[in-house]
Amino acid sequence: MLGWLDANTATLLNGLALASVLFVIAVGLSLVFGTMDVLNLAHGAVSLVGAYVGVGLLGVQGSIGLFVAAVLLAAAIGLVLGTVLAAMTTSVTGHLRQALLTLGVALIVAELVTEVFGNDVQRVRAPIGLDGSVSVLGNPYPVYRLVMVAVGIVVAVGLYVVLERTRLGATVRATVADRDMVEAVGIRTTFVLGGVFAGGAALAAVGGLLAAPVLGAQPGLEDTILLLALVVVVIGGLGSLRGALLGAVLVGQVQVLGVALLPEIASFLLFGAMGLVLLLRPAGLLPAVGAK
Amino acid sequence: MSETVPAGAEPLLRLEGLTLRYGSLTAVDDVHLSVQTGSRHALIGPNGAGKSSLFAVVAGSTRATSGRVHFDGRDVSGLREAARARAGLVRTFQHSSLFLGCSVLDNVRLAVERASGHPLRPWRSTGAARRTTSQAMGHLEDVGLLDRVEAMSSALSHGERRQLEVAMVLACRPTLVLFDEPTAGMSGAETQRFSELVEQLPAAITVVVVEHDLDVVFRLADRVTVLAAGRVIADGEPETVRADPVVQEAYLGGRSGGNLFTTTETQP
Amino acid sequence: MSADVDSVVATSQSRRGRRPAPRVVLVAGVVLVLAALPLLLAAYPIGLAGRILAFGLLVVSVDLLTGVTGLPTLGQVAYFGTGAYTAGLVGIHLTSNAPVQLLLGTAAAMVVALVTGAVAVRTSGIVFLMVTLAIGELAHQAVDSIPAVGGSNGLAGIPPITVLPGGEPLLLTGFVYWWVLVVFLLGAGVAFAVAASPLGRSMRGVRDGEARLRALGQETYPTKLAAYVVAGAIAGAAGTAWVALARFVSPGDLAFDVSAFALLAVVLGGAGTLWGPVLGAAVVIGARDELATYVGGRGSLLLGVIFVLAVYLLPRGIAGVRRPARLRAGGSR
Repeated sequence: MLGWLDANTATLLNGLALASVLFVIAVGLSLVFGTMDVLNLAHGAVSLVGAYVGVGLLGVQGSIGLFVAAVLLAAAIGLVLGTVLAAMTTSVTGHLRQALLTLGVALIVAELVTEVFGNDVQRVRAPIGLDGSVSVLGNPYPVYRLVMVAVGIVVAVGLYVVLERTRLGATVRATVADRDMVEAVGIRTTFVLGGVFAGGAALAAVGGLLAAPVLGAQPGLEDTILLLALVVVVIGGLGSLRGALLGAVLVGQVQVLGVALLPEIASFLLFGAMGLVLLLRPAGLLPAVGAK
Repeated sequence: MSETVPAGAEPLLRLEGLTLRYGSLTAVDDVHLSVQTGSRHALIGPNGAGKSSLFAVVAGSTRATSGRVHFDGRDVSGLREAARARAGLVRTFQHSSLFLGCSVLDNVRLAVERASGHPLRPWRSTGAARRTTSQAMGHLEDVGLLDRVEAMSSALSHGERRQLEVAMVLACRPTLVLFDEPTAGMSGAETQRFSELVEQLPAAITVVVVEHDLDVVFRLADRVTVLAAGRVIADGEPETVRADPVVQEAYLGGRSGGNLFTTTETQP
Repeated sequence: MSADVDSVVATSQSRRGRRPAPRVVLVAGVVLVLAALPLLLAAYPIGLAGRILAFGLLVVSVDLLTGVTGLPTLGQVAYFGTGAYTAGLVGIHLTSNAPVQLLLGTAAAMVVALVTGAVAVRTSGIVFLMVTLAIGELAHQAVDSIPAVGGSNGLAGIPPITVLPGGEPLLLTGFVYWWVLVVFLLGAGVAFAVAASPLGRSMRGVRDGEARLRALGQETYPTKLAAYVVAGAIAGAAGTAWVALARFVSPGDLAFDVSAFALLAVVLGGAGTLWGPVLGAAVVIGARDELATYVGGRGSLLLGVIFVLAVYLLPRGIAGVRRPARLRAGGSR
């Protein structure tokens, strides 16, 4: 057992690192789907913007301070994009038209990014100070990926605290359960839901930035991210924090293990897992109770 | 109004110890109820009494926590909603849910096809189409919507939509129809027309109505069950129930006087 | 049956009897014009027209699910690709006979649609859309990674089709275009026939009120699965037509943006009408392939803007702009 662990530490940790960024990116998508029943296919494009913020600000490698600044900038841009998307989608009814609207926005955003940064793959290196290796169970492992895992945990705990322990979180949960009642109390649910949308987008952008040193930044990344995020949400269940966490861990591990052990059929493994979950639980593993 | 059923005959619908719990909330509490064939049975009760929950459990859209539903001699507790409808237990919706993208005729044709046609046949057979259409027309005539046959169902007034719903229900060849607050949102005239429609339903069809409008209830029903806080607090003939002090207290919260049952409750 | 009903039936039948005549004439006219194109246009425009018809048939299959059954989908490329790759492989290894390729390609697509649909159709709404997206992507990655079908380089070396057994290979674009037109008419014909059948009515019932349909006693799973398989078959047929024209198929033909463009064509043309989306397909291909050169190669940006504008400006699509008078029975949507 210890021998196996020793040989596969790197793979397991890689799976956790991927799961971390996937969680950060997908949790906003899951909450928006679950609370607003709004289809947002521009989510991947928002992550793309975050990744390219990394490209723009950090060049090929920057300091930790610059990295933090990049994170804040990505979050801010994500908030703006999220608010715009929220405003656009509230006036459009029907999943079909929402799908088209957000697809259109995604296309426009992706094209604009390509205009500015070109078509080539851009490398982003981990910030100076976090780009080394550290010994884990006797094997060297990149520090930055451990940072990714740490950030994922921090975000998960933070979101849990906000949703379960604060007034704001209680308002959000109440809006999910009974929107009309919350309106009757005098709270403008449009702002609450818009806030969820914007917050989710901010997280998506930050997630894209975090993943950039590992995934790179290139046109087409938004499709890959969107697809992975959707699989996370489908497997985990709509509208729930725990669902997004579970989904992200599953997808992260399956994807990394698949690529490491059976590269030819790695995608089939992932979609096969999704199909299996849907066969047994069409609503996902841990969907929110009471959400649409 | 209703057929005289020999005493001791097996009730068409029998609810046995029906309970529905959502976590710590008990919406339906050990309900026992019997509906005789041919009866016009009304289910009333103040707001929050659990009428909608009971309705959902009987119709099959919600699974009861415990208890059984017996219909037409069979235990249907394990059957899904569609299976119960096929067995003859058909419901209406409180918020008239029609196929709004289709014409009035198409709405009824759908119901006819489901009951007596081939709903999955991927080609159009002229003979079957003609039969379906004439049957649908017949049902529309029965409810008095013959002049609106070609209209889009979305263009109908509220009262007309309810009429269409009844036509669709009739097309299912039901043995028992569950009406879910059918006169909600209706004007006085529409309520009147609707009451006449229900009165004209064939005696072979048993009717159970969940209703708020007590005028309609006392006009149509030959038996009334009163629900409060999920439990049955009265069950019997309309006049008996009307005079029952327990029932009056449940509605008025203790204030005495029989004014509740003599005041007309109509929507503007 | 009373006299009242008889008279209403008679009136509506006579009204319906008068109406098909102009519609049949219109359809016949359009078919004639389409058939005459090879006599009027040069090779490149005819190839474009053929591509529009093949993509148009794919879009019809998307509308059958999206507009008629109410199941927006991003996965029809999987069945389009199955049909295309099957036809290509048949052409290379078995026979260049086009009807055989059509049959085998459609059959293969139907089987894949049945297997994937059985799982997909258990979900609904947003989850269904995401599942279909995943199915489309799965197919995309599958053909990209399987060397036997050419991998990322695609399947090349597909011989020109023959229509009659043992006949001459069709080398002129115009002749191949006629075969594509035949496949288009067959596929669209099936779509219209199904939409007018009891199954079609059930499909619209699922779209407009699934809960209501269940309350009438109809389980909706069989209807949705049937719709899914029919749509998959039509998409497969479209794929065989595409390959007959292009004589090449690659993973790029199953990329995510093809699904997105198909959905755009449906909304642009008018979901549920089946014919409107074909016009939408013409607009999409025209904008992507032709107008792209006029905007400095930024075809995707232009299309993104068209997507957004279409949603705001054309709520019911091109087909919805002129609503037949009969349906305007004084009601609002």
